[in-house]
Amino acid sequence: MTPSVLVVGEPHGDGLAPVTAEAVGVAHVLAGADGPVAGLVGGAGSASAIRELGQFGVGRVLRIDDPGVEGASPGALARAVAAAASTVGARLVLLGGTTFGRDLAGRVAVAWNAAAVNGATDLRWDGEALLARRPVLGGRATETRRLLGGRYVVSTRPHAFPVPERPPVSPSVEAAPAGPVPPLLLGPKRLGVKAVPSGSGPALADAAIVVSGGRGVRAPENFRLVEELASALGAAVGASRAVTDAGWRPASLQVGQTGRTVAPQLYIAIGISGAIQHLVGMMSSRVIVAINNDPAASIFRVADYGIAGDLFEIVPALTAEVRRVRGT
Amino acid sequence: MEIVVCLKPVPDAETRARPLPDGTRFDPEGVKFVLAGYDESAVEQALLLKEAIPGSAVHAISLGARSRTDEVLRAAIALGCDSATAIEASPAAFEDPIAVAAGLRAAIEGLPHDLVLLGKQSGDEEEGLVPGALGELLGLPHFGFVVDLRWDATSQRLRFGRSTEAGEESWEAPLPCVIGLQQAWNDPRTAKLPAILKSRRAPIATVRAPTGPPEGPTSEPARFELPPPRTGAKMIEYRTPAEAATKLVRILSEEAKVFP
Repeated sequence: MTPSVLVVGEPHGDGLAPVTAEAVGVAHVLAGADGPVAGLVGGAGSASAIRELGQFGVGRVLRIDDPGVEGASPGALARAVAAAASTVGARLVLLGGTTFGRDLAGRVAVAWNAAAVNGATDLRWDGEALLARRPVLGGRATETRRLLGGRYVVSTRPHAFPVPERPPVSPSVEAAPAGPVPPLLLGPKRLGVKAVPSGSGPALADAAIVVSGGRGVRAPENFRLVEELASALGAAVGASRAVTDAGWRPASLQVGQTGRTVAPQLYIAIGISGAIQHLVGMMSSRVIVAINNDPAASIFRVADYGIAGDLFEIVPALTAEVRRVRGT
Repeated sequence: MEIVVCLKPVPDAETRARPLPDGTRFDPEGVKFVLAGYDESAVEQALLLKEAIPGSAVHAISLGARSRTDEVLRAAIALGCDSATAIEASPAAFEDPIAVAAGLRAAIEGLPHDLVLLGKQSGDEEEGLVPGALGELLGLPHFGFVVDLRWDATSQRLRFGRSTEAGEESWEAPLPCVIGLQQAWNDPRTAKLPAILKSRRAPIATVRAPTGPPEGPTSEPARFELPPPRTGAKMIEYRTPAEAATKLVRILSEEAKVFP
């Protein structure tokens, strides 16, 4: 029997988060050539989310019609996902490994009585078991876990899987089952959400390119050099702990052990010496570039490419070159 | 407010990771286990709430091998936590996050708990599955990736933010609740020497984690691998900044294929 897979569509703007498309891609692989892949959507962007799922070859979509799904607490959402998984007879529930998906996965696993893993970068069946690979110890190692028991909940790490190339379909749409939610789970209220202003670049956690600045930029006003390069590349901006501790930029930008762990396709470290605290937050990046005036800086030991030189000269030149190549 | 703070001993960040000879998992031999940065920040948050709300208490709990849990629990007592509970479980139960959550539940249900605090993810596995799993097991709301947690005495509710891909969310939640904290937004205090000495004699309660059903869902380590050692950066030779920029952009597009 081909295993059925349910992909939880993560809302993003008017449609789906890019990581949902990647999850659909691996769902098609795990479900087999013609295996059933279903999607779950809800909220204001449902119509375009359904269309997008169809473009990625998802033939069946369950839609949560309760308007309360906007701003629902993870507890209530997890119940909805578990109910949908049972409705489609899924063996596997896939979520994108963003804040949204990672926070939900453990709860869905308990609600649906499944084994779980977060942030998978590789997935394959091993008989009835599912093997999931993921970076651990801040990218210093990778671990493969064997999930057992026949029901699995997995979030996929952003950029780990390709977006599927499938013939588009027109999905069948049905109402997702509405199960009872214990009153206790309805207590929390979302008071508001301040959208990330458009034009401020992608979110750090799921950006394809991250440009980070460290102590070497010397003053808060010089940090714009980092931001201009990020803007030219369409990248997210990160910072080392020295920068956020000094208050030059908010703590939410901190990459490292006490900040965020990122794993973009390209990580550019500017004026960052490479303390272990920082390295464990970015070492799983696919390609690392370091720009630092100290050729002995430890960042050059983990980087793939290095430029030893004055960042105040190199970075503006790099920004100009990127703009020239991109024609912007 | 009765606060339970969940602590996980993790390998020190400076640890040289290596697999066991059979390649299945991390070799803990000779590794120093410490209180993770995320958990230090959870302890600090618990102590700040305790200081702000009269009549509060903080209960530290930790699951794992006894030699490691006692170390972090004594550190928590030295910082100002009021009680400590070690959760003993079979080694296999340490290795599955849902089983870890079940072990934590066993201890939490034996303690008064208005608020359960955790780091957002452990400092080693970095999964972030436990807060949600624990919330569901306890039948309580949970929130992970929380920042700026405060108690609003007027409304008798927690107020906090969450930084998600959609933007900066603000929430309020009544107690009881499970909260996974994003990071050190506070500056964790350090213990004073007399408190450290006194913590050496502090009693540590013991709870035994339940064993799951034999055929139930679980996970186990299958392989632990180190990436090929990075050989060091290929340094770009240049005479002018413009030349360095041109060469780097060409390498990124033609060799590394990450651009444009």
